Amino acid sequence: MSMTIHPITMHINGKPVGPVPVPEGIMMIDFLHEYLDLTGSRLGCGQGVCRACVVILDKPDGTSEEVRSCITGAHFFEGKKVRTVEGHAQLNEKGEVVALSPIQQKFLEHYSFQCGYCTPGFVNAATVLLEKLKRQPVAKDQLDQAITDGLNDHICRCTGYVRYFEAVKEVALATPGLVKDGK
Amino acid sequence: MTKLRYLGKALRMAAAPLLAATLLAACDSSSSPSAPAAGSTVKPGSADQLALGRYLTKAADCAACHTTATGAPFAGGVELASPFGKFYGSNITPDKQHGIGKWNADQFYKALHDGVTPDRHLYPAMPYTSYRSMTRADSDAIYAYLMQQKPVAVASKEADLKFPYNMRFGMMFWNVPFLKNSLSDASVGQSPAWLRGQYLSNALGHCAECHSPRGVFGQLDLSKPLAGAALGRVAAPNITPAGLAAVGWTATDLQTFFATGIAPQGSAYGEMFPVVHLSTQYLSKDDLNAVTTYLLGDKPLPPEPVKAISADAVELDAGKRLYTAVCAGCHGFQGDGKPHVAVAMKGNSTVRNADPHNLIVAMLDGIEAQKFPGTESLQDMPGFAGQLNDKELAQLSNFLRVTWGGQAADVTPERIKSMRLTTAH
Ligand code: FES
Ligand code: FES
Repeated sequence: MSMTIHPITMHINGKPVGPVPVPEGIMMIDFLHEYLDLTGSRLGCGQGVCRACVVILDKPDGTSEEVRSCITGAHFFEGKKVRTVEGHAQLNEKGEVVALSPIQQKFLEHYSFQCGYCTPGFVNAATVLLEKLKRQPVAKDQLDQAITDGLNDHICRCTGYVRYFEAVKEVALATPGLVKDGK
Repeated sequence: MTKLRYLGKALRMAAAPLLAATLLAACDSSSSPSAPAAGSTVKPGSADQLALGRYLTKAADCAACHTTATGAPFAGGVELASPFGKFYGSNITPDKQHGIGKWNADQFYKALHDGVTPDRHLYPAMPYTSYRSMTRADSDAIYAYLMQQKPVAVASKEADLKFPYNMRFGMMFWNVPFLKNSLSDASVGQSPAWLRGQYLSNALGHCAECHSPRGVFGQLDLSKPLAGAALGRVAAPNITPAGLAAVGWTATDLQTFFATGIAPQGSAYGEMFPVVHLSTQYLSKDDLNAVTTYLLGDKPLPPEPVKAISADAVELDAGKRLYTAVCAGCHGFQGDGKPHVAVAMKGNSTVRNADPHNLIVAMLDGIEAQKFPGTESLQDMPGFAGQLNDKELAQLSNFLRVTWGGQAADVTPERIKSMRLTTAH
């Protein structure tokens, strides 16, 4: 297969991007890093296992899901809405961070991460989970399972799992409407 | 995990990189099991008989139906879906109340040979139509081995069948026309290896039970042995000599596949995964050779090269773009696969299959991460039912079929639509 250049357009973190001409087979993570200078997504395993690289895909039906950017071509996102870890904090007009998202804040407070390599993936996974709980709240006794299911595939080599878990649980319990009373 | 869930999820598309296969073949030779001496010279109750029984229990793949992923060995409970309803593997531990503890060796043989237990008629979901050819000595060895297992007091689950199939005595009438003394052969041969392979494949491995088509009464269609069948979500492919040659199998690759679950033509998925996992990986080198000799025949056909196929360039280009967007990250831009990550598309027998059924199932449902014998494993493949629409999946299938399968670009969006699971998002 010879290399072909195709322009690509999408929305990233609420802003339109492109059309940018990029080689046909480029992976999303390389597109983010090399073309857009969005280097927050981490390349860990590069083969779809660790989930350090996940980005959020916002679907037209209002749901969101994680997509592994290391094994997904940039052209898969043509015309779609994407959020990366850079899209969560509030910035002022100068581009400075003025407030973290609740989950970022809680990860900090819990010292959830050590080296931080896996953190962008966990931030995105937790965000997707919280958004899902907003659409489909779970009973309190199902919350632990929901968090486990939401984060389970993410690997943290510094083994911060428990603190990630606890931080997500705290945000879920503190945010109205995510957890139902009773069964 | 139930068999049904295996069907839905544990699918893995085709060919492993040569490097991995070679490494595994090397692994295998160091730990290759040897078959205990078979036959009538083995003394009842001796260590030799128990070792033989253990080997034969694996060769007959008893665990696939009688051991669940979370249950005690041989305590039953594995679900087997069929067009007639659901069957469950029974408890075959020596428990006196729920298992086979009260049976003697004659009764055990009668169950394998005639499908009749001391209490009732078995349904042919228990492959007595194949086990019927098992020798009495081998049946006794399996019986002796099972009677050594820990008894487990778990009741067997009743089959959940529609009327009139729920009337067990009906099996009496079914057996008259359909229980035959031997199965027909798909290949030709007479060498000792072929004869041993015939016994291993038909009587013990019961290959025909999944790979031969069935008639309306659920009976094996003996006029088309091993020609392929679709009992579950993943279809069992045609494994006749012509069917295997058409998708590139050689004797060496087949042996590697049975021993390790992975070969240049593909990796085991669907119901074949537990077969390798629980059964064929334990076969001795000689027996593996025998099984492949039987499947391919004494004079195997040469594996066919991939044919050059022409197709609509615009459609093909659309498929190629989809491939580079969602598949190439793991399967490689050139379809070469990635060692320990994903199998190659080039030379892949699922891609080369004239029937695109399994290719579509793999793309729609994905395949669970798989751990193969030795040190090999493959990562999970996500299902794309929620990511790609019918048209896109048809374009992708056709790109794969034309580029690496030598097959026509004849997959339609309607075909994809009809194969989506209603439970898939
Ligand atoms: S870097 Fe993408 S999953 Fe590991
Ligand atoms: S904090 Fe180091 S990998 Fe998770």
